[in-house]
Amino acid sequence: MKNGFFSLAGLRRLRVMTWKELLQLFRDTALMVFFLYSFTGDIYIAASGVSMQLKNAAIATLDGDRSDASRELLSRFQPPYFRPIGELAAARDSITLLDDAGAMAVLDIPPRFQERLQRGEQVSVQLQVDTTNSVLGFLASSYGAQIVGKYGLEAAARREGLGGMAGPVLQADTRIWYNPNQNDAWFMGISELLTVVTLFAILLPAAAMVREKERGTIEQLMVTPLSAFQILFPKVIAMTLVILGGSAIALFGILGPVFHVPMRGSLLTFFLITALYVFTTAGLGLLAATVARNLAQVGMLTVVILMPMLLLSGAWTPPEAMPDWMRILAYISPLHYFLDAAYGILLKGAGMDLLWDSVLAMATLGVCVFALGMGRFGRQFG
Amino acid sequence: MSPSEPAIQVAGFTKRYGKRLAADGLALTVQRGEIYGLVGADGAGKSSLMKAIAGVLSFDGGTVDVFGSRIDSARAAEKVKDRIGFLPQGLGLNLYPDLSIDENVDFFGRLRLVPGRELAERKRLLLEMTRLDAFRDRPMRQLSGGMKQKLGLVCTLIHEPDLVILDEPTTGVDPVSRRDFWAILGKLLEEKGITALVSTAYLDEADRFHRVSLFHEGKVMGEGTPAELVARVPGTLALFRAEPQATALPRLKAAFPQTEAMGSWLRVFADGLDAAGARAGIDAALAGIPATDWFAREPELEDVFVAMLRQRGARLDTQLQDDDAPRPLATSQTPALAIEARDLTRVFGDFRAADAVNFSVPQGEIFGLLGANGAGKTTVIKMLTGILKPSSGSGRVAGADMRSAGLAIKERIGYMSQAFSLYHDLSVVENIRLYAGIYGLDDRQGKRRADWVIGMAGLAGFENDAAGRLPMGLRQRLALGCALVHRPQVLFLDEPTSGVDPIGRRVFWDILFHLSRNDGVAILVTTHYMSEAEHCDHLALMFAGKVVADASPEAMKAAVAREAGQLLELRVDRPAPAQAALRAAGYASAALHGRAVHLLSKDVDGDRTRLPALLASAGVAVQSVVLRPLSMEDVFVQRVTALEDAQRRTP
Repeated sequence: MKNGFFSLAGLRRLRVMTWKELLQLFRDTALMVFFLYSFTGDIYIAASGVSMQLKNAAIATLDGDRSDASRELLSRFQPPYFRPIGELAAARDSITLLDDAGAMAVLDIPPRFQERLQRGEQVSVQLQVDTTNSVLGFLASSYGAQIVGKYGLEAAARREGLGGMAGPVLQADTRIWYNPNQNDAWFMGISELLTVVTLFAILLPAAAMVREKERGTIEQLMVTPLSAFQILFPKVIAMTLVILGGSAIALFGILGPVFHVPMRGSLLTFFLITALYVFTTAGLGLLAATVARNLAQVGMLTVVILMPMLLLSGAWTPPEAMPDWMRILAYISPLHYFLDAAYGILLKGAGMDLLWDSVLAMATLGVCVFALGMGRFGRQFG
Repeated sequence: MSPSEPAIQVAGFTKRYGKRLAADGLALTVQRGEIYGLVGADGAGKSSLMKAIAGVLSFDGGTVDVFGSRIDSARAAEKVKDRIGFLPQGLGLNLYPDLSIDENVDFFGRLRLVPGRELAERKRLLLEMTRLDAFRDRPMRQLSGGMKQKLGLVCTLIHEPDLVILDEPTTGVDPVSRRDFWAILGKLLEEKGITALVSTAYLDEADRFHRVSLFHEGKVMGEGTPAELVARVPGTLALFRAEPQATALPRLKAAFPQTEAMGSWLRVFADGLDAAGARAGIDAALAGIPATDWFAREPELEDVFVAMLRQRGARLDTQLQDDDAPRPLATSQTPALAIEARDLTRVFGDFRAADAVNFSVPQGEIFGLLGANGAGKTTVIKMLTGILKPSSGSGRVAGADMRSAGLAIKERIGYMSQAFSLYHDLSVVENIRLYAGIYGLDDRQGKRRADWVIGMAGLAGFENDAAGRLPMGLRQRLALGCALVHRPQVLFLDEPTSGVDPIGRRVFWDILFHLSRNDGVAILVTTHYMSEAEHCDHLALMFAGKVVADASPEAMKAAVAREAGQLLELRVDRPAPAQAALRAAGYASAALHGRAVHLLSKDVDGDRTRLPALLASAGVAVQSVVLRPLSMEDVFVQRVTALEDAQRRTP
């Protein structure tokens, strides 16, 4: 077992090769700056800037009635959701304003609004909504409908002489778990962290590998008694360590102190699962490096691999909402399992008893992908 | 602007890249109609100067005048650009890989606004002369290195410039293509009367030029005709044998620093001594070891160049003693044969990259594998080092079977490739310790071997510098050190000296000699520098995947002398017409070397009298006819040309 992986010489090889990768990475100033920015600045921007909620949506009004009732309805469109920007002079201005993105919604109240309400007739008001951004558009129209609906109910109750809400009214009593304030920063921050982890898990090993190809050092390694595995695996170990370091910076430097993301579960479990995920994804990077000839191609391939991984992972859409064939693809995206596990640990405080299936799936995928990368590498240089 | 005005005049030229001084007060003058050579290693400042003259690089100090116009701004450079053709360094880097030969030439012609009919006519002539006309529709990327360079030359000449600037046009090109290139260039310049400024890293190409500047580390070491430069350092070059060589070499080195072993020969440059003085001095230094087979002649430019550098303080010595315990495997039980290739064959599709290759290398021998680009040298090395599986055949390396014991072989061999595959971002010590760890040395052994490598390679003081920032010579020795860190029995070197200056190359070969003679290491080396092939004990010449000659350098030379004749050098007043007249008279080997013509003669005594008369009738005056020793380059060109002709006859 002189050359065995676990022999003394084998472990020494592993050590010197891993150390070499770390040294090379730390001396690549440009890459290190990009790395540090991604794990700090980029996550900060995502957590503080990106919101999936309706906030301060500009709303213009067209009041054809100018009565107490119409003014009262209009006054209910208020911050934080809506921001009234004033009244339009003519109906035709409304579509122009929406075209220009000068307002997100226009509320049109017809003449004789108050009179018809008091007579107990059915009245319609029109809410025109810009749904270019489908999520925000959906929120604006449903919040708008809620406000109008509630006003209608109250108006009806008042007319019937029932002060307040005394009738048979069904009240939905919602309990919001895990993120009680529905704080977007938590979701966005963690999701950006996972994205950045994925990016570097693909990019770093691929870049390290292709750099050896470009410089010709790979040939030098091939004539030494190193096996393909002994050449590839140290890259993965080194990059995993570095990415865990980056994740720690993001968690304890940004997400924790700035955004107060709760870390309810075991952080040890989180880092172990992250390590497993990086190993899994690094296999994809190495696979890409066997195809690419230079660093530029590695960059392009990283984008090509990363985008579908993100889109299919469930980070933006739960797999249940995807078409059937795509849902199957989501189950082979390692990010899908990582998301499950990461949100589970950080927000829900889940432990291995709940996460074992995700971990098992991730490990299985990882071994397959790594074996594939090794195989291609072996064929290319063997 | 008078016609006698020099084509190029440079004074005090200085160029910096950051902190590094690339050119330090260079001065030179190129007369019209000259082939002027800039000779020196990578990083000596040749390219910077050439780019500045071509008007594509700004510089920090001094003046550059081209045809009487001062090049001091981009606008000034525009004025003379029409009259200049510039071929930058790198094989085919100025060409478009996806365009065919035809399209490339047309593109450069139209770029230079050459009228249609003239363009077609010039293209026809130039392609015919370069023998590229048969491949007009082939995309440039499918051409061989030599063909790319010829196409580059055609594209540079298409607008008939008055001055061509060619930056290392022969680097990376095999000797046959190289000789072709010089023949074509000489002919074109003669016919068109243009001026050429050409750089080269090969000192033995210097005699192709009318005048040369020797470059070293941003300075001009000397300027003049090759003969003038050689005369500048008087001395005698002695070639002889002395056994035992390993004892004789250190004794000689103590008295004559410029001593080298070339196979079984010793080569000593005795500066300041005439032939008799050299003999006396060498006998005294040998202290009892008899010198046999004695030859004394005038030194070559490389000897002179090294002597100049030595006068300026360059050192040739290295620290080679190895304090470690004797190498565990180099004992009597080691097989006598270090490398044995039996019918090694590798097929890629229907292309036989290596075809039944046979040779053997005993322990302690330096074995040279020669051949043009694509002859199969690298394929053979890759098979022997276990990177590539042979399609058929077998081999043993360091006592282990290539097919079954790949890992054992890898532990016993060292390998160094042409790219000096070091990690540029790691320091000297980090590189050494990395390879020590890879070969399974423990920390204590690793540290001792690192100290040995640093001493051997002369890297003391550079231990913590990044490998990428070392000068080429040091980088090369560091790569060698990394390949030797585990004390291998067999060393494979794939073009190990590209781009290294003469001093660096000498020190390098000294180390190889020491390893082979004192430690019994078998060394297999490939090289494009034919002057280096002379260092080998034994040579194998490859052509189209086959070994076509396998002998010692002397035996190879003797065979060529027997078959094709000996080398005569004719100094004449008008070389180009002389060459034409000689070719017409049946001396097909006649080639231009600066102001001299070289040819192979089967009847030396007869030709000594016959040739001056023959040339006189062509109106050429012969100043001297000298018998010169055949070089390995002559042997290589002769052999490969004969094989190419044979291949062409039987397609």
